[in-house]
Amino acid sequence: MTFEWIQVPYALATLFIILNYGLLMTAVVQKLAARVGGRPGIPVWQNYIDLVKNFALRSKISHGVMYYLGPVFRLSGGIGLILFVPTIYGSAWAQNFSFAGDLILALYFIFFGTLGMALGAGESGHPHSAIGVSRGLAQVTAAELPMALAIYAIAIQYQTLSITEIVAAQQGGLFNWTLFTNPIAVAAAMFAYVGTTMRSPFDVVIAPQEIPIGPPTEYHSAYLALMQTNRVIFPIAKTIIYMNIFFGGATNWAEFAIKVFLLYMIPAVIGVVHPRFRVEQSIRFFLKWGLPVGVLAILTV
Amino acid sequence: MVSPVLIISIGLGTAFALGLLGSTRKTLLFGVTLAALAAMAAISVMWLVALATGATQTAEIHTAGVAPPFAINLRVGIAEAALLATVTLTGFLAALSLRAQLLTLGRGGMAVLLVLVMAISGLVMTRDLFNIFVFIELVAIATAGLVLLSEDTRAVCAGFKFLVVSQIIAILLLVGIIFTYHANGSLNIDDIGATPVAAQGAALAMFLLLIALVIELKPFPANGWALDIYTSAHPGFSAIFSAATGSAALFVVDKVVAPAGAEWLPLLTGIGLLSFVGSNVVALRQDNDRRLLGYSSVGQLGLVLAVIGQRDVLGDAYLYVAGGLVLSHAVAKAGLFWMSAILRGRKLQDWAAIRARAPMVLAFATFIAMLVGLPPFPGFYAKWDLAQALVAAGRLPILGLILLGVLIEAAYLFRWFGFAIKREAPESGLSANMVDCGITFAAVAGGWALGWIWGAIPGQHNVLATLPVLAVVAFIALEPLPAKLKNVLAIAALLGWFALVYGDYDPMRLIFAVVMIPGGAVILLASFSETGRRIGFYPSAMAMYAGLALLLEATTFFEFFAAWEVMTLGSYFLILRGRMSEPHALSYMLFSLGGAFALLAGFALASGGIQPFALDQLGTVTAELAPWVFVLLAIGFMTKTAAMGLHIWLPGAHAEAETDVSPMVSGILLKAGLFGLFVMLMQLGRQSLWGVDLTVVLAWIGAISAFLGAVLSIFQEDAKRLLAYSSISQMGYALFGVALMNHLGWLLAMMFVINHYVYKSMLFLAVGGVYKRTHTKLMYQMGGLITLMPFTFVSVLVGIIAMSGVPPLSGFGGRWIFYNAIMDANLRLPLILIFMAGPIGFLYLFRLIHTIFLGQLKDPHRQLKEAPFWLVLPQMIFAVFLIAFAVLPGMALQKVDGYIGSIFGDQPLVWQGRAITSEFGYWNPVAIMVVIAVVFVAVFLILIAKNHDAQKVKQFNIVFSAERPYRPETTHFAWNFFAPYRKAMGILETPVVTSFWGGVTDGVNGAAEFTRRFYTGNGQTYAAHVLLFVVAVYLIAMGGVA
Repeated sequence: MTFEWIQVPYALATLFIILNYGLLMTAVVQKLAARVGGRPGIPVWQNYIDLVKNFALRSKISHGVMYYLGPVFRLSGGIGLILFVPTIYGSAWAQNFSFAGDLILALYFIFFGTLGMALGAGESGHPHSAIGVSRGLAQVTAAELPMALAIYAIAIQYQTLSITEIVAAQQGGLFNWTLFTNPIAVAAAMFAYVGTTMRSPFDVVIAPQEIPIGPPTEYHSAYLALMQTNRVIFPIAKTIIYMNIFFGGATNWAEFAIKVFLLYMIPAVIGVVHPRFRVEQSIRFFLKWGLPVGVLAILTV
Repeated sequence: MVSPVLIISIGLGTAFALGLLGSTRKTLLFGVTLAALAAMAAISVMWLVALATGATQTAEIHTAGVAPPFAINLRVGIAEAALLATVTLTGFLAALSLRAQLLTLGRGGMAVLLVLVMAISGLVMTRDLFNIFVFIELVAIATAGLVLLSEDTRAVCAGFKFLVVSQIIAILLLVGIIFTYHANGSLNIDDIGATPVAAQGAALAMFLLLIALVIELKPFPANGWALDIYTSAHPGFSAIFSAATGSAALFVVDKVVAPAGAEWLPLLTGIGLLSFVGSNVVALRQDNDRRLLGYSSVGQLGLVLAVIGQRDVLGDAYLYVAGGLVLSHAVAKAGLFWMSAILRGRKLQDWAAIRARAPMVLAFATFIAMLVGLPPFPGFYAKWDLAQALVAAGRLPILGLILLGVLIEAAYLFRWFGFAIKREAPESGLSANMVDCGITFAAVAGGWALGWIWGAIPGQHNVLATLPVLAVVAFIALEPLPAKLKNVLAIAALLGWFALVYGDYDPMRLIFAVVMIPGGAVILLASFSETGRRIGFYPSAMAMYAGLALLLEATTFFEFFAAWEVMTLGSYFLILRGRMSEPHALSYMLFSLGGAFALLAGFALASGGIQPFALDQLGTVTAELAPWVFVLLAIGFMTKTAAMGLHIWLPGAHAEAETDVSPMVSGILLKAGLFGLFVMLMQLGRQSLWGVDLTVVLAWIGAISAFLGAVLSIFQEDAKRLLAYSSISQMGYALFGVALMNHLGWLLAMMFVINHYVYKSMLFLAVGGVYKRTHTKLMYQMGGLITLMPFTFVSVLVGIIAMSGVPPLSGFGGRWIFYNAIMDANLRLPLILIFMAGPIGFLYLFRLIHTIFLGQLKDPHRQLKEAPFWLVLPQMIFAVFLIAFAVLPGMALQKVDGYIGSIFGDQPLVWQGRAITSEFGYWNPVAIMVVIAVVFVAVFLILIAKNHDAQKVKQFNIVFSAERPYRPETTHFAWNFFAPYRKAMGILETPVVTSFWGGVTDGVNGAAEFTRRFYTGNGQTYAAHVLLFVVAVYLIAMGGVA
């Protein structure tokens, strides 16, 4: 597949849908979590309000160039990830720019935004930002490991690294999904999925309940708005990858909406019923439970 | 031609004639002595030249006008002439060195010296056993006499002990001679050879004869009596004692054992090896320079004795090998003793005084390289031929022991050299004068001349005659020039050489060549930031580059090995230049030499003694030997790529090197190991040993290195050490790629060759620039430098994005190829480590950029400037290259991809326009770059539209822990950055490998400490040692049979 100009409006449309879906869905999930705790929770349009408010804020400061660019890196990472992965299987216009690269591109591009934001946050000079980055990076090395193994296992299984081809291979019925053809790899990958969505028990990186910690510490106004935008689309971008390679992909937007929501609910449910791990505990957890499953996945495929 | 017998008559005649001259005219007496020695030397050299050029034949001289055995006959062949020249020249130069003592002592001392030189010459020439006895007695008495010349009070004791033991030897020798005469009826060596001794009684005779002569060599451990001489005698005399007496005694052993028969050879080999290894071990614990040289002399003589013991397998190469070792030993040891006369202090550390005189350092380096057997000196050629012969004869254990001994010898010699270069120099530690310096440099010149001669012998590859090595010599001569000018010349030399050769290379070699030669030139741009003359830098750097250039040119095993050693030597000197790098350079040298010896053994095993053996014939080695060749060569090459287990030299060596040296030794030098692995695998392919596929072992080692290198890297506080450990990890990836043994694995490794050179050079230069400004390498002491050093920041940013593999920069290409490569491979488990190493890489890279450039700026750094222009320039070149290479990987990879395809017979990648497609996936670098750039710019514009008027705030405009911070030190989160990681994975930090190698060195040192206790200094004990030694050897060698 090569580039044609029509792909640009197509891609923008996809982005628009995903953005709105993300804004709504994350609010719904948050509301659900609140209800579990016996609280009424936020209204479902709360994310829109936050976003508009933050964009409109007039007081803003800058700690330097890298600080300024941090959110840009972050959001570019989220948008780019969506654009490098086909969203709807079989749809002519939701293929985005996936011709630029395959699954490996998506896997490595995930780190683009993380790295940029970490650098930006670093320039703020706030130690809590750096502590958050240190914790996050440390945790992700162990959390991503089962995912890497799972990806390798299914790449071997399907003999391709192309996301489209992997989705194609899962068409024709529920039991063609990787979930059923290679459950071990999927189990391994889900360790990583739960581990990297920044929800409890793996959310010590941003420690949202107590002190504001983590990369966003010093960010505010439009910076924060960009990061919030990313905050709603990035998990979806990631979920799309999981959906595509493990859960049969989506052939239309409705299927997309349902699958993404259900997948997103997994860490949300785990999060509301589990207390938080310290970083070294999560590392040990992934090495003790995630890694063996991943190893099993690459050995049995 | 003048008769060589004149050497004896001049010596003896002048010694007597001195007595006729007035004892008060000392200058005249000394002049006559010198003239006599000069005449003796002239005659020897004349004979040597005539025999070497074929102008004359071996001379047989019958004294008393009668044929032997009725009179003594003398012989002067090429070996005798070479030894005579060595002996008489040493005598002449030693007389100059001893001038003050001789002038004080008057004609007595001079006469004794003349008699000594005459007697040693006689030992070389004579063919009569009893005459040998006479000359040995003369040498012993003259030696004792000259020892007493020393001002050292211990010399009296030493001389006495020497005389006591000499008499024991004399008795043994005399009894042996009597028995021999009884059994043989003749004392002429040639007669003994004509009628082989069969009877047991004659065997005892021969044993006594040989053991007496062997003890003359002061073999370990029966040598306490002689070592005190080295410690206490005047160094001018010690030079004769070591170089001339020792060499002549060896020759006598050789003369006698030839007719005695081959059954005596194992005895010599055994004693020689014991002596070589044993005395080198004991030498490890010596801190007195002359005593150390004494042990080293004993060791070297042991080595040659072992070679004499191997004469049955050396064949035609015997003279070449033994001669190369003896002459190297003689010249280097004499030179070192004469140098020690210039130094006031006797401790090894006192040699730091020579640092003030660059030529002295050159001399010291020359002598050490000669002793260790490094190119371009004769010992190197000899070692190679010896290894070939030993392996061809299946005597691998002997080779192993010899190489072990050389390694131990290298350990104390290079440690000593490190002291000289790095330790604090004592005040007025030198008493240099024209004469002593002149003598020393005569030895240096002799060493280099011998190197040339040994290389120029037909059938040899003359290392010194190659253009790159000549360039090194030229740079030695250019040392007085200013550094900037030399830098221009060095860059021109590298580019010129590349222009000469690049057309001849296949695409793979070309990539290595580009990284090593013009790549070296780019790094040399950074050297423009240095001022002054920078003595020592350019010859060392050019030696390393010469080695690399020759490595790519090599077509035979020998050429490859020689290039490898030149490269090692050059890089050692380069690394040693770092302020704190003394122990690290030593460890680098020892690991490199160990690795080189593995290569030597591997090559010898593969060639089976056939020389020259073409590099591309490596694949013809028999299936039985191939796995062993594989193992040996792989160990050798992995020492250079610092694979886990053999890596402990790297962090210190790379981190403590100078700013522009670190990128050279990291970005460039490590690739030599990869090149070797490619060469090896291309020829040998997959090999199995005991059912284990060796390439799988390599892949595991690669994966472990990639993983542990990364883990260790994240725990470093020192920025350069962090980068150094990262190199171990990166080379692990490359090793893994090579070991996959498929097309894409190799392409992956080639990608790492390019990428690692670029980003590691860039990062080392960046960190070096920061170090230049902040004077620290500890990252937690830095922080917030982004605004002060923006260019350096950009280069680190580009470097870490590229290295981490995040799109769109070139590291991603490496990851993409990696995934495609492993799809084809059957290796699953090591992948776990590789997968884990990737994200861990982020940790240390982020730490590097964060703790240096982000966070809080420290007060002492507020006035810092950007790094010097010449450090920034190459970084910017690298940054531009990385971006260009990311977009157009085909410019470097497409050709090499095709070439690798021709090796494996497949073509998994399709290069179509700007896109690359594999069997499994696709990669469109241009599209990636464009999409990311467009999205990035769009988001950036949105932010600018909203936040263009953001207020720029000052450093402490943050609040945390309920207060506004005011001290950067308490606010900058940097030290122990990944504390949680340490809690979880800290167990991987346990220095297992370091402990192992530390245990090995401690063990050897402990053995040395234990053994030296036998050297009590008591003459009676020493005499007992000798007797016990004789008895022990007798029991072992002859099984106690009379």
